[in-house]
Amino acid sequence: MQRDLGSLPLAPALRARLVGAGFSTAQELLEVGPCELSKEIGISKEEALETLQVIRQECDSNAVRTGGDPTALRKCTALELLEQEQAQGFVITFCSALDDMLGGGVQLTKITEICGAPGVGKTQLCMQLAVDVQIPECFGGLAGEAVYIDTEGSFMVERVVDIATACVQHCQLIAEAQQEEDHHKALETFSLEGILSHMYYFRCHDYTELLAQIYLLPDFLSEHSKVRLVAVDGIAFPFRHDFEDLSLRTRLLNGLAQQLISIANDHKLAVILTNQMTTRIGQSQSTLVPALGESWGHAATIRLILHWDNNQRLATLYKSPSQKESTVPYCVTPHGFRDVQPPPPSQTPEGSEMNPRKRPRIEEDKQ
Amino acid sequence: MRARGAASAGTPSAAPQRAGSRRPGAGPPGWAGAVPRARRPRAGLAGARLPVAAAQPRGCVSAWCSASRLLCPAPLRTRGRAMVILHAGLCPGLTAEMIQLLKANGIQTVVDFISSDLEEVAQKCSLSYKALVAVRRVLLAQFSAFPINGADLYEELKSSMAILSTGSKSLDKLLDSGLYTGEVLELMGAPGSGKTQVCLSIAASVSHSLKQNVLFIDSTGGFTASRLLQLVQSRTEEEEEQVVCSVGPVKLLVVDSVSAVVCPLLGGRQSEGLALMMQLARELKTLAREFGLATVVTNHVTRDSSSGHLKPALGRSWSFVPSTRVLLESSQGAWGKASTQRIASLRKSPRQPTGIQVELDIGGYEALEERPGASGEEL
Repeated sequence: MQRDLGSLPLAPALRARLVGAGFSTAQELLEVGPCELSKEIGISKEEALETLQVIRQECDSNAVRTGGDPTALRKCTALELLEQEQAQGFVITFCSALDDMLGGGVQLTKITEICGAPGVGKTQLCMQLAVDVQIPECFGGLAGEAVYIDTEGSFMVERVVDIATACVQHCQLIAEAQQEEDHHKALETFSLEGILSHMYYFRCHDYTELLAQIYLLPDFLSEHSKVRLVAVDGIAFPFRHDFEDLSLRTRLLNGLAQQLISIANDHKLAVILTNQMTTRIGQSQSTLVPALGESWGHAATIRLILHWDNNQRLATLYKSPSQKESTVPYCVTPHGFRDVQPPPPSQTPEGSEMNPRKRPRIEEDKQ
Repeated sequence: MRARGAASAGTPSAAPQRAGSRRPGAGPPGWAGAVPRARRPRAGLAGARLPVAAAQPRGCVSAWCSASRLLCPAPLRTRGRAMVILHAGLCPGLTAEMIQLLKANGIQTVVDFISSDLEEVAQKCSLSYKALVAVRRVLLAQFSAFPINGADLYEELKSSMAILSTGSKSLDKLLDSGLYTGEVLELMGAPGSGKTQVCLSIAASVSHSLKQNVLFIDSTGGFTASRLLQLVQSRTEEEEEQVVCSVGPVKLLVVDSVSAVVCPLLGGRQSEGLALMMQLARELKTLAREFGLATVVTNHVTRDSSSGHLKPALGRSWSFVPSTRVLLESSQGAWGKASTQRIASLRKSPRQPTGIQVELDIGGYEALEERPGASGEEL
């Protein structure tokens, strides 16, 4: 293979000498023996030998990868992909309008980003999904485990207990209504203790820890192969303060995004990120846009923006490769994330937006 | 000097490969190709006019850069393949002792040899002048670019180049009837502007209507097979047509997106990032030319810190790689209102005036279609 010298992992001084002596591709270097190489460039024989070994390793690993192991390149036809996708499940959110908008729920093997103003429900949604991914398959779930990486410290175990209890009750109701064998068996393991013990929680205090955690995640996932959801709550928080070098931040974020994409694909899990909002000041008005800049917008495959509209929480699907853009209302109840209940017909026909299950919202926090 | 052949724009000259087993390097598009007709260098080249384009011919060094380093410095610094080390057997007449003597005087590569003054070399190395001239003649013939006149080039292009329709009339109009094989088209846009949708739509249309194979390289995880199925189903109702699997050469290469993998390498103290990006660019263009592929690449946009406008990512070096660039934008500014309308404007093209805009509808289950009664075209 004709690999350019520029792409091989060599020290810059060595590379400069090689180029000066006229070598340009790996092939040419491999034809020369170490003694001739050391004579031509003026380096010691051991160095020449090392260099040739490194190059030979690189070329061999490339050959092995491209020739012998087609799965490493993940090449398959669209038809195979289609079958895989149709066989895959979704992580449901218990809010049917949101699930419909997303095409069935949060998709596996894709990164979903949830942006929103403070207090709109991003962490609630993350916690809800971390519980929902564990629903047994006979109830329509994935029976997977969840990894929760927290950077803001907003994870409350008591809240997860509430959500999990409501979820278990919901499944028990279904089981009683349908009376099937595997439902009861599944319910034995699907209990509060089971849910909590299958949620792996990591707390990261700054961006270095977050990066390290995500780069070490593949090792963790290969031990715990049942994980189906990775939630990073607050990916914007460590990167927004105390960062002087913005280009470094962009590079780190891009590398992070690529790592998450490869984790999502290799282990077939869904990745959820929560992002904050920032104000962009235009000529005549200012708008709320997701934080971390334009380049971060390309990292997530699916982007969901949560916002307020006169006391009603709305979710807008802003970016998706397979679903249309639309907006649905939702609400956050003591049981978790739920649909907005239509007002009972006995109320006045004004169509007011007060509904009994909605958590009351303080007035002065309106946008 | 003979008259310069008027080469048509679009592809560099298809010089036959001269230098052994070297792979051809990729020339930039629109190489003027204005080289004189004469092939053999005349003695005393100091007064000869040099080729205008210091382009990189296919794997060889331009013969006329030998005239004087001062007049044409650029080709000597062009990448790699020109810098071939002299070794015995490179050409008849070049013996091992000659090489030793030349090396002792600092002449190591073909370029050094050709660009040096042979009389001086003959004196310093005590080699025969005639032998050196003979060797130089052979080396030049072996390594130099072989010019081709414009008419032959045009004939070859007519027979080898194909134009693939993208499936959408408005997009075809923007691209001057479609995707040209051997060229790279770049789609840029903000997140959510529809780049992946346009790529999927083009892939569906090429594979279905034109029955060509498509290679889709996805680096963002945005390839959704069910959406592709929707697009194919909207074009045909028959199940068999949707599933037919053809064995044949790939005609369309879609890379979505190239900046997602290259951006982490650029900037900071990493010096190899730019080199890797350029190598990627070269591979893409070589693939496009050698195999006759039409290539579509997706790029991100970033915000210019000074003016606040959106500009394509990957910088100026990458902007020379694609021959056509299209910017996709939403027709409304705020994200509050959902719409499936997008405006595609032409930013760089070898054939059309830039600034043309068309409207596309990427939503729903239909192919990319213009909105009926669209008056969004401007020239």
